[in-house]
Amino acid sequence: MNKQLLDANESKESACSQTGGELIYQLLQEQQELTAVESFSRLHSDANLPAQSKYYSSLMPSTPPGEGEQYAFEVDLDLCTGCKACVTACHAMNGLDEDETWRKVGLLIGGTATQPVMQHVTMACHHCIDAPCMAGCPVEAYEKDPVTGIVKHLDDQCFGCQYCSLSCPYDVPQYNARKGIVRKCDMCSDRLSASEAPACVQACPNKAIAIQVVELDRVIEDAEANVFLPAAPEPCISYPTTTYKTKKVFPRNMLPADYYSVTPQHPHLPLIIMLVLTQLSVGAFTVGMIVENFLDLNATTLMMPIHATGALLFGLLALGASTLHLGRPQYAYRAFIGIRHSWLSREIIAFGLFAGTAVLYALSSWLSVGVFPEVTAQLPILEHGNRALGWGVTFTGGIGVFCSVMIYVFTKKVYWSFVSTGFKFLLTATILGIASFWAALTMVNLVTGSELTESMLRSVSPFLGQALIASSMIKLFFEASIFIRLTNRQNSPMKQSARLMIGPLSSPTLARFATGIFGGVALPLVILGQQEPFREPHLLLTAIEMVILFLALLVGELLERYLFFAAVAAPRMPGGIRS
Amino acid sequence: MISDLAKNLLHCKQGPLTRELLRSPGRFGLGQLPVRKQPDAVTTTTCGFCGTGCGLNIHLKDGEAISLSPRTEYPVNLGMACPKGWEALAVLDSGDRATTPLLRDQAGKLIPVDWETAATTFVDRFKSIQKKYGNDSVAFLGSGQLPNEEVAFLGALAKFGMGFVHGDGNTRQCMASAVTAYKQSFGFDAPGYTYQDYEESDVIVFIGANPCIAHPIMWERVTRNRNNPTIVVIDPRLTETAMQADLHLQIRPKGDLSLFYGISRLLIENDWIDRDFIDSHTNQFENYQRFVQDFSLQRTVEESGLTPQLLKDVTRIIAGGEAVSFYWTMGVNQSYQGTRTAQAIINLALMTGNIGKPGTGPNSITGQCNAMGSRLFSNTTSLFGGRDFTKKEDRQEVADILAIDEGDIPSVNSWPYHKIMDGILGGKIKGLWVICTNSVHSWINQNQSRDILERLDFLVVQDMYHNTETAKMADLVLPAAGWGEKQGTFINSERRINTIKKVAKAPGQALSDFSIFKLLAHYWGCEEMFRQWTTPESVFQILKRLTKGQPCDITGIEDYNMLDEMGGVQWPCPDLGSSYAVRDRLLESNQRRLYEDGRFYHSDGRAKFLFEEPRPLSEPTSEKYPFILLTGRGTAAQWHTQTRTKNSAVLRKLYPSDPFVEINPADAKKREISMNDWVFVKSQRGKMKATAFLTHSVQPGQVFIPMHYKQTNNLTDAVFDPDSHQPSFKACAVTIFRVGTY
Repeated sequence: MNKQLLDANESKESACSQTGGELIYQLLQEQQELTAVESFSRLHSDANLPAQSKYYSSLMPSTPPGEGEQYAFEVDLDLCTGCKACVTACHAMNGLDEDETWRKVGLLIGGTATQPVMQHVTMACHHCIDAPCMAGCPVEAYEKDPVTGIVKHLDDQCFGCQYCSLSCPYDVPQYNARKGIVRKCDMCSDRLSASEAPACVQACPNKAIAIQVVELDRVIEDAEANVFLPAAPEPCISYPTTTYKTKKVFPRNMLPADYYSVTPQHPHLPLIIMLVLTQLSVGAFTVGMIVENFLDLNATTLMMPIHATGALLFGLLALGASTLHLGRPQYAYRAFIGIRHSWLSREIIAFGLFAGTAVLYALSSWLSVGVFPEVTAQLPILEHGNRALGWGVTFTGGIGVFCSVMIYVFTKKVYWSFVSTGFKFLLTATILGIASFWAALTMVNLVTGSELTESMLRSVSPFLGQALIASSMIKLFFEASIFIRLTNRQNSPMKQSARLMIGPLSSPTLARFATGIFGGVALPLVILGQQEPFREPHLLLTAIEMVILFLALLVGELLERYLFFAAVAAPRMPGGIRS
Repeated sequence: MISDLAKNLLHCKQGPLTRELLRSPGRFGLGQLPVRKQPDAVTTTTCGFCGTGCGLNIHLKDGEAISLSPRTEYPVNLGMACPKGWEALAVLDSGDRATTPLLRDQAGKLIPVDWETAATTFVDRFKSIQKKYGNDSVAFLGSGQLPNEEVAFLGALAKFGMGFVHGDGNTRQCMASAVTAYKQSFGFDAPGYTYQDYEESDVIVFIGANPCIAHPIMWERVTRNRNNPTIVVIDPRLTETAMQADLHLQIRPKGDLSLFYGISRLLIENDWIDRDFIDSHTNQFENYQRFVQDFSLQRTVEESGLTPQLLKDVTRIIAGGEAVSFYWTMGVNQSYQGTRTAQAIINLALMTGNIGKPGTGPNSITGQCNAMGSRLFSNTTSLFGGRDFTKKEDRQEVADILAIDEGDIPSVNSWPYHKIMDGILGGKIKGLWVICTNSVHSWINQNQSRDILERLDFLVVQDMYHNTETAKMADLVLPAAGWGEKQGTFINSERRINTIKKVAKAPGQALSDFSIFKLLAHYWGCEEMFRQWTTPESVFQILKRLTKGQPCDITGIEDYNMLDEMGGVQWPCPDLGSSYAVRDRLLESNQRRLYEDGRFYHSDGRAKFLFEEPRPLSEPTSEKYPFILLTGRGTAAQWHTQTRTKNSAVLRKLYPSDPFVEINPADAKKREISMNDWVFVKSQRGKMKATAFLTHSVQPGQVFIPMHYKQTNNLTDAVFDPDSHQPSFKACAVTIFRVGTY
């Protein structure tokens, strides 16, 4: 026993003569004294060679990757027994936040009653050859190391749009809300460069994880033959480099333990608002431009500044909302950097242009038709110029909506296919464009009570109303068509989406269809069926109906977009049992 | 400069966020670590979850733990740890920690009080109960999670100082059957193996054990075996370990006893037994031979649910092995015939001579980190150091060592856990002190046990967390420091003793259990008796003296430092005259096994063949309850009643948060249950809600629910092994139906 302890013992021998209060005080003091270092011999602080290397040296490649090669994880499934030490070791050895994990362990089950199979699968970033996180990133916060092939995330460059999380088929980049950025596995690149093994490799009790050098051509060939992992996302999307090896022959019915559990996905509220409102804005401009083509100059004079400004306001609101989605909005200006490869960059630029031209157009509309109508009337060139600018706004807006569509198409999720996403976004623009234009016209009529607006309304309403009913019905039918998938035997991603919509998301789903039918079909029919709806004494009632129609449709489209995010399902890496 | 700034504004590769995760070369042989988590010193300790007893490096900064890693140079875990070990420090930092004593007020609410009030209340209430109803009206329940020094202090304080007659520990729920089996068969509770045996067997048989999940580091040792061993798993479920086996015997629940008798008969019939060993080192083999004649192939097939071919195969594998080792844990112990089943395994090892040699042995895997220590030092159902309360000479010996009056030592054995519970029910026991265990969650037939605990006049719960199911029922809660916040020693499954260290500050007013005992001794007025019990290390010296001359003699261990330096020491480690002699012997080899000389602890040095007619399931299935419920560990990230593991955000991600029940797809189909449906599982005693997980890993007619969910013990049946008094958690009759279909 060392001296210090002996001394301590002696001092404590006298405890018997103490009062209770003194003893309590002494015990509480002692409880806060940490003695491990003083009382015990320390580990030698000069040992530099990691002690653990004797276990992992056999799990490391003998040479660094050469031309056409990179580092990759190799998982021996026959050794992975699902203890999940790798998850906690990665967490501890990399100093991750409290609940942050870069590795996961899932479970595959299958086989028959007599030959059941259960296989745990450890997984982290696959350091893909064609990494969608990197291609999708609007701020170039990802780098693929030219020598090691490690896909590294640049934490200080990230502005937290989380588009990489949506794009990665393997759900790898983890959003850290506290920091406003995503973070992910970097294969412990610092360790690798010092010939140390990554944390997970060091920590697997069964030596199931190793680092190897893979040939890129070989990875691509294997991906094309789809020999990645049963029930995992299609490897040709990104060419994941991890090798899952096994001597077993897996039965064909191997399925993830969480295959039948459906969990609503993150709804991304700012994105919902941004998408719906940008589409409203573009739609309203376009409807305005089309209707103007059929109207006389006088009517245009009255409507143009109002609808241009209204649409612009919605557009700006949408762009404002979109920055709320960023974890670090102060770096929003970096968004254009990725224009060469990121649809998100392109979308941001397109909507930036749209907002800019819309401001110009709104200004010129006010000036030309509001402030100086005489001048404009004298100089048709001004009016033509203004109209051309208007079409320019519509065009940039259209490009913006197209980029929005492509953002989701890029993720290669069936629920977000080009046809489905394009159709939805286009029809949202149409429906909300018509509704907002129609409602705005009615409000102007209510406020001004002019003959002109009344005649305008009378002439365009049947067309607007019918178009609204038709497009609403088409869209609702299209959205409802997903329920046909419920009859599928296979639990396809689309069926999972449908199950989410009738299961955990049934309330928003019901509300979505109710608002769509009410605002897009029932109310237009009521309004169109009324006698002289735009003339006193019905005008006020019609205006109220019109506001309700607009709000119902807006809410309906917001709900549709909520489901667009929350009900998405796609093939994923196997998860564990979920309850 | 400005261009750099502009460049950074646009594309920033380095910055505070990047630096946060930057790794730098670690010292102390640890390899690279995050810059933020660079230690300025490193010390070692022993993990405080399961009985494996892994060595951990504690990374310290300014004397306080900031992180940990498994010890590379430690003969147990060889540089590895399971998720619980990796997260051992994380669970200390929790809002659930008890930070001040809590006393139930008139309105029935637990309110914070100071230690003085708490200690006075403790003493007054217990003394008044004892005065009114006698010393046997109060009892305590301890824990295999407490280090030796604390479990011993508790046993001595309660029984010698406070006059308690009855006390037991939660080890009753995990190890009792193994303890009793060893005691009866070998004459002392002494599992003989060392973990190196996992690496040296050529046949490894796991019975009712799933080390891949429950003891991942023991499985690590199996994967290090270079003999390409044949692995046999005997388990009603297709567990992770069964998946790794060469042969999985998916027996009928509790069909194991008949199976072992049947195998014994086949071994004898084929003369695949070690006659020499049997003749020179065992007793009663003839009786055993006669007894197993009744276990014909046909009978064994019927009772075990296996095919004749499988029976022959497993017999041939056991007979053919050069070094066969058998490992069992809760699947055997937690049974109404656990003792006999463990002894049937012991019989197999004895009759084939697979004992005392590398890679052999009938080896029980311990559940808790200090289950082994509490077996020796808890002073509950046996007197210190494996002695007997009822023997005067044993009492006198202990009295002499402790310098106390022999009359202060009770001359009767404690009631075991279930008798204490019965005692409360019968109004015999009025006051209960629960230390470091969560009875309300873990005890069998929970609805009844809640009802029982409600009958107490006074319930004291001493725990790290103020909101365990049991603490919530307490009249007085004493806040305890946890593992990492106190000193002591643990003994693991292979009898290896090592230290735990104080590397973190306990929150608020929490005190180590050791200090709490000291404080209570003072207020009770018996501190004079514990004059020498000043620090954990001084108690360790007392414990050494208590083992002198016993099979578990550890008098050769000098002090904590020696344990630390040697990488732990396996008992026995008798005094060889000088510490150099002991050190030399340990340096020569730090792996030791018992019975190498074929001598056992019965007075004649022989082991006994013990056996008994197998009994049918304690609760057979019926038309109303047609399923057998199996319970067991869920994942490697969960520990028992989860009071600790649920406090790690990472561990929480590694297991399903709500209960699930595994059911065979054929049964599910019949009951119109689909994957992930909500179902009710119901027994005669209670019901619980869970989601259905359809898997072929459970056989038709059986369902499985992890024990970590507090509802699970609503279903279990309070049946006990008559020898070990261990509850039979593993099999009872239930029914299952989809929510809304009943």
